[in-house]
Amino acid sequence: MSLSSRCILALAVVFAVLPGLALAQGRNSEVVIEHTREAYTKTDVLINELDVLAGGVASADAAITMSSVVANDLRLSGLFRVGHSEGEADSLEFEFTIEGTVEGPLRDADQTGENGPITISLNLLSYPQRQLLMNKRYRPLPSQMRATAHHFSNEVIHWLSGEAGMCLSRIVFSRGSGDRRDLYVVDYDGEGLLRLTANRELNLCPSWSPDGSEIAFTSYRRGQQGLFSLNTSNGKVRSIIAMDGLNYGADWHPDGKELLLALSQSGNPEIYRISPQGKILKRLTVSKAIEISPSWSPGGRDLVFTSDRTGTPQLYIIDSDGAGRRRLTFEGRYNDSAVWSPNGDQIVYATRVGNYTQIVVMKSTGEDRRVLTDGRWRNSEDPGWAPDGRHIVFASDRSGVFKLYVFDIVEDSFRQLTFGNDPDITPAWSH
Amino acid sequence: MNRGWMTRSMLLAVGLVLIVALVSLSGCGKKAEVETDPAVGAGEPTEEVPPPPVAEEPEVVVDEGPDYPNLDPADYGVQDVYFGFDQYDLDDESMGLLSRNARVMKEAGVVILISGHCDERGTIEYNLALGEKRARAVRDYLVSLGVSAGQLKITSYGESKPFAKGNNEDAWAINRRAHFERP
Repeated sequence: MSLSSRCILALAVVFAVLPGLALAQGRNSEVVIEHTREAYTKTDVLINELDVLAGGVASADAAITMSSVVANDLRLSGLFRVGHSEGEADSLEFEFTIEGTVEGPLRDADQTGENGPITISLNLLSYPQRQLLMNKRYRPLPSQMRATAHHFSNEVIHWLSGEAGMCLSRIVFSRGSGDRRDLYVVDYDGEGLLRLTANRELNLCPSWSPDGSEIAFTSYRRGQQGLFSLNTSNGKVRSIIAMDGLNYGADWHPDGKELLLALSQSGNPEIYRISPQGKILKRLTVSKAIEISPSWSPGGRDLVFTSDRTGTPQLYIIDSDGAGRRRLTFEGRYNDSAVWSPNGDQIVYATRVGNYTQIVVMKSTGEDRRVLTDGRWRNSEDPGWAPDGRHIVFASDRSGVFKLYVFDIVEDSFRQLTFGNDPDITPAWSH
Repeated sequence: MNRGWMTRSMLLAVGLVLIVALVSLSGCGKKAEVETDPAVGAGEPTEEVPPPPVAEEPEVVVDEGPDYPNLDPADYGVQDVYFGFDQYDLDDESMGLLSRNARVMKEAGVVILISGHCDERGTIEYNLALGEKRARAVRDYLVSLGVSAGQLKITSYGESKPFAKGNNEDAWAINRRAHFERP
């Protein structure tokens, strides 16, 4: 593997010299290599077509869906290279192979039995020894095929890397323009787009509860902001809090029992802790400055937020009682929208360079600051972490309209997540 | 503005005439009582009021002036205020404009929503805060000019509702404003 990896690495470096390639649009599944920052290794996996033992069209579709979704999941994790035939063994050094069987109801496509559950058996084997490492069996309905494939991908990723897979995660965001923007949710791979709100209002800044059962977001009623919560299983929306002024920038505590929020009821925005029922638990900041955009540390003991008390917006950290304030950013005259990485070691945020906003990642100590996006990206805003701590989602208008992009901070590669003409902003990745 | 004042005084005149006419009518029916009642007698003799000249133009009564609650503030002369880049303080020009706005608002007497807006540069979140600072600066100045605080609500849309599209200073300048709207 190491030899072929080096070859690929050399290839990637060659690509980096040709800037035109970086602009090639990667639709959904393709990863565009911008440049290779450091050496990394990937595991090569051979994914064979699934054998259809019985069933009609739905079973054949299931076989195709399963292998293509799993292959895409493994690629998108950044941990694997995927081949589909042994002939690719020249360029890939397979260590593992995935194969399986599909067995559906023995009815024709136009009969109801075709929509019944399909039995799927998937195996992870060593290559070329063919030692069985893992077997998973599922009985999904045809409509559940993608989710089933994602589930299996998570199992494979966990088995091979020890990391929890993010293949069942989703991204919620705000789509639209002017005073009508609705919340939408999309699977992490860009599929399964779903509209969540239709209230003819401006709906912004969503935040997932830790268990994914609720999405807190800011909306307007008669021109006034309030914080609302959308139940992700039944779609119902309830009001959490609507104080005078701004009610926005919610971030759910990792324990799910409270949220951070910026409220301007006192005359200017300050950071508060509130309960999911809208009770103010504690005010954390007191100043005449703008204090906004709070984000919990993964342990929920500290939070990072933005304050312009020095005259420019900068990042600060305080503890959950509001004590121990320390300034985190000294570079740049405009830093905002910080989010703490899932394992706590990094913080991603937006900084302004000239007329453009760009994405920066650094250690949560403030060291090793690195700007991920450059002038080609125009504005890049509202970053959020994937649960794997390796990928970041943000909104960029590099195509002329704000769309969402997923950036791999290990490889510095990216893919476009959402498409279409309506602006997409304020994404949040589920936990 | 002048039209509003004229309308108001005309209405007053019509109202007065009607009241006087009513009093004189009731006086006719109960003349004896009127003469013995000191409260009514304290008034001037109603018979001396000349016949109402506007009675020939009853359509004037229907014209009640601008329908403020159903108009956008811009329709009756309230003008938006513009700001410098990253700024929320009011310059001399803005203050002069707000003085004129204040006069109109006091006359209109309806609740007005002041929304703060920003250009597209910077982040969604900081611009929401900056937009509110702009709306608040305008509200505070209008209140200092005597507009009732209860008449003025504020909100912020940040960069979400631009008035002009484009990535240039012309568009940005148009989008950095406090806008007046019906709530």
